[in-house]
Amino acid sequence: MSRFVFATAQYQSGNWDSAPLVPPNIIDTLAQYTSLDLAPVGAIVPLGSPSLLNFPFVFLTGHLPVRFTDQERSMLQRFVERGGFLFVDDHNHDIDGAFHKTAVEEIERAIGPLRNLPNNHRLYNCFFEFPDGPPTTGHELNGWGDNLVHEHLLATMHGDRIAVLYSNKDYSSEWNFHPRTKRFLSVDPTRFAVNVIVHALTR
Amino acid sequence: MSTQATARRTVVRDEQSVLAPLERARGSLRNVAIARAFLLFVAVSAIAWVLVTIVTFLMSRSSEAGFTAPGPLLLLALIPALAVAAASLSRELPRLTRERVALWVEEHNPLDFALVTAADSRAGAAERLGPRLTGIPWNDLLRQAARRRLFRPAVAALLGVAAAFLVPVALTSIVTVSIAGVAGTSAMVEPVRPTSGPLAGIRATVTPPAYSGVAASTLNDPASIAALVGSRLVVGGRLSTELDVSALLGDRTLPVAMDGGSWTTRITMPNAPALVKLGAGDAERMVLLLPQPDSVPVVVLSAAVADTVLREPRGMIQLEANARDDLGLASARWEWIVTTGGGEQFQARSGTLGDVQLRGARTAELRNSLDVSSLSVIPGDVIHVRATATDRNNIGGPGVGTSETRTIRIARPDEYDSLTIEGVAPPPADSALLSQRMILLRTERLVARMARMQRQAVVDSSRSLADDQATLRRRVGRLVYQKLGEDEDAEHSHFPGDGHDHGEEQRLDPADILARADAATGSGVPEVLDFEGDETPVVAINRPLLEAYNHMWDAGRALEIADPEGAVPPMRLALEAIQRAREAERYYMRGRPPRVVVDIAAARQEGKSTGTGSLRVPLGADDPGAAARVARLERAAILAMRNPAAAADSLIVLQLEVMSHGDLAAALGEASNLIRAGESAGTAMARARRLASPGGVRRSPLSAWRGW
Repeated sequence: MSRFVFATAQYQSGNWDSAPLVPPNIIDTLAQYTSLDLAPVGAIVPLGSPSLLNFPFVFLTGHLPVRFTDQERSMLQRFVERGGFLFVDDHNHDIDGAFHKTAVEEIERAIGPLRNLPNNHRLYNCFFEFPDGPPTTGHELNGWGDNLVHEHLLATMHGDRIAVLYSNKDYSSEWNFHPRTKRFLSVDPTRFAVNVIVHALTR
Repeated sequence: MSTQATARRTVVRDEQSVLAPLERARGSLRNVAIARAFLLFVAVSAIAWVLVTIVTFLMSRSSEAGFTAPGPLLLLALIPALAVAAASLSRELPRLTRERVALWVEEHNPLDFALVTAADSRAGAAERLGPRLTGIPWNDLLRQAARRRLFRPAVAALLGVAAAFLVPVALTSIVTVSIAGVAGTSAMVEPVRPTSGPLAGIRATVTPPAYSGVAASTLNDPASIAALVGSRLVVGGRLSTELDVSALLGDRTLPVAMDGGSWTTRITMPNAPALVKLGAGDAERMVLLLPQPDSVPVVVLSAAVADTVLREPRGMIQLEANARDDLGLASARWEWIVTTGGGEQFQARSGTLGDVQLRGARTAELRNSLDVSSLSVIPGDVIHVRATATDRNNIGGPGVGTSETRTIRIARPDEYDSLTIEGVAPPPADSALLSQRMILLRTERLVARMARMQRQAVVDSSRSLADDQATLRRRVGRLVYQKLGEDEDAEHSHFPGDGHDHGEEQRLDPADILARADAATGSGVPEVLDFEGDETPVVAINRPLLEAYNHMWDAGRALEIADPEGAVPPMRLALEAIQRAREAERYYMRGRPPRVVVDIAAARQEGKSTGTGSLRVPLGADDPGAAARVARLERAAILAMRNPAAAADSLIVLQLEVMSHGDLAAALGEASNLIRAGESAGTAMARARRLASPGGVRRSPLSAWRGW
């Protein structure tokens, strides 16, 4: 079995690289809590490239409007049909923001409708226990963005598995710090990423 | 007007009046010729159509493929028909001259060639022969001619058209009879599943959604029904017996209306394929519903052709796009989004432009201009524009098609002179470029002046320049070796024969250097750089720098021997190489995030991943009897000098007590045996002493110096 490589989607529109420290931070978290065989550096994969199919898990974020090209849309469909897991996080933490509206539109057009993911889904207890559903981020508690605490994550299901996991909670801001900073935090906010990736790899 | 001209005109008018019936007959004959050609066209095309149908039927039978009427092949049938019609016209029309028509009349109604003579304009006898031309039965002649010329083509056309209608019907009935025969044969060995049961002969009327503009159609005895999603289907038939008909769509029971001997059920075409199960008494029948989705409009953006950056927030941007849809477009427009901000603070606003109602057009072109200043954008804003079109699908739609998105960014004032995202430091080779140019200029001035200078002054100036050149060479060397991953001062890896041999220190020849440069830059690596990127996105930067470095060596040697003229060519080559390196250095990767390599082992607290530490052997627990054993051993050694037997016994007793310490017991046994045998037991006693004290032998400190 090959190493797990944390892949970040590079799409032509918007700012795909808005959270550059999320990948190393999540890799560090995975190294701490799991025995997964990990690549020490994340990958950047163009969304319209066939190399997208080399990765089981792809992270996508940004602030700006998302407009997939036909190639990106087609490749994303192939990615999902072949069992890929796309985790999309709205770096704007704003349901009225440009990213949310355009990304949701593009995902629903390419893959299918996004629905609320129940908070008792296996995603929330496949590694760490999150009995209340997705952990709340500091940006939500501070009232930034849309001034909402989002109760659910959204998901597009492909059969009985999650094809696209969509978050309005701005984990991109919550997790965008250097791994060394983690030692100063009383509660590691990146633990939920372990659940997301473990679920993506074991569902 | 002259009298002669008036008389000529009067003659012409008289001639025309005399020959007018002839001209009318000529026109009628021309019409007959055209009608004949048309009838020939119809007849030939119908016959050809019948032939094509028969050939298609025979081919379908030989290939066991289904027979269908060859509609598109009708075009093939038109080709010979057009040829025949054209041939007929080209043959008939040129013959219908006035003289030949007159001859034809004379042939059927002899006038002693009076009409022929009158028709000959050269004879000029029309007026004179006029009285003889009265009484010609023009109508009778023309009717006979028309009957003769048109009868056969008309019959052929009628027969052809009749055959064209009848032959496909006949062939279809042949196929139906054939299929029924096969079914009858299979019925001998299989359960009854006939098309002739109570559910045979059903009819389905398909009414597509109104928005599609497609007419309703009827299918006879269909096995499957393909129609647009949302189409209204009315499936029905007649029953010869008193039976109830049931209909199931999936698990849902459909209402069936019975009216006398006929039944109907109404279905709306679902989104996904489904099976309709019909039942009547013991008979069952299934009809497959095949929904045809309405395609969303396809929108192709043709202008603006690429994303762009505007220097100032004003100007007009031309927008062009084409939209098409399979059933018809409802509307189209441009959508724009303007995003303002940066970092964590972004705001967006959106709007539309050039909204047009297309009322079912299959294709449309959108041409508009986007006035950037009307969007109130400021430097740093990004405008996203795309074209969208909707179709008229009011069942599951409307379907929305969108084009690619173009982004137009308004440049910030601080990025006018750079295409890079981040301001970058000037490449280090720039300063080398200036220095090399200065040294070159100074050398060229020296060359120009050296003829007027004393030799010693030339030598001094040249060596001064050689020092400057050497300093510059070392700076370039530092750049090179930094990129090669060497120590900055690793210039001392000289080439053999470069005059700076330092004995046994490591030597690199130019091939090694270039190979290492290739390895450092990736230019010599055959595989593509992976996604992790390379530390140096600049390709082959080291190669021109190394060339400059070598040329500087040549220039420096020439200056050292006071040959400034010989130093100029390598200096120019060095300058050129530095320029190439400088240009190569200008390439920067865009959007490159910081590269953080996670130390997986450290995160897992597994220590260093390389190197093996020495094994630590834990100290044993203190042995409280060790000191006593050592003391007893020492006393036995002293006793051995006085009473060897007693010493041997003491050692045996001690051996018995330490039998659990195998080596010590063995050493004690050996020592006791040697003492008892009167031999030297020093070595055995020494080993026993060492083993008796696991912490090592504690030696007494040296005695103080007591002098000689």
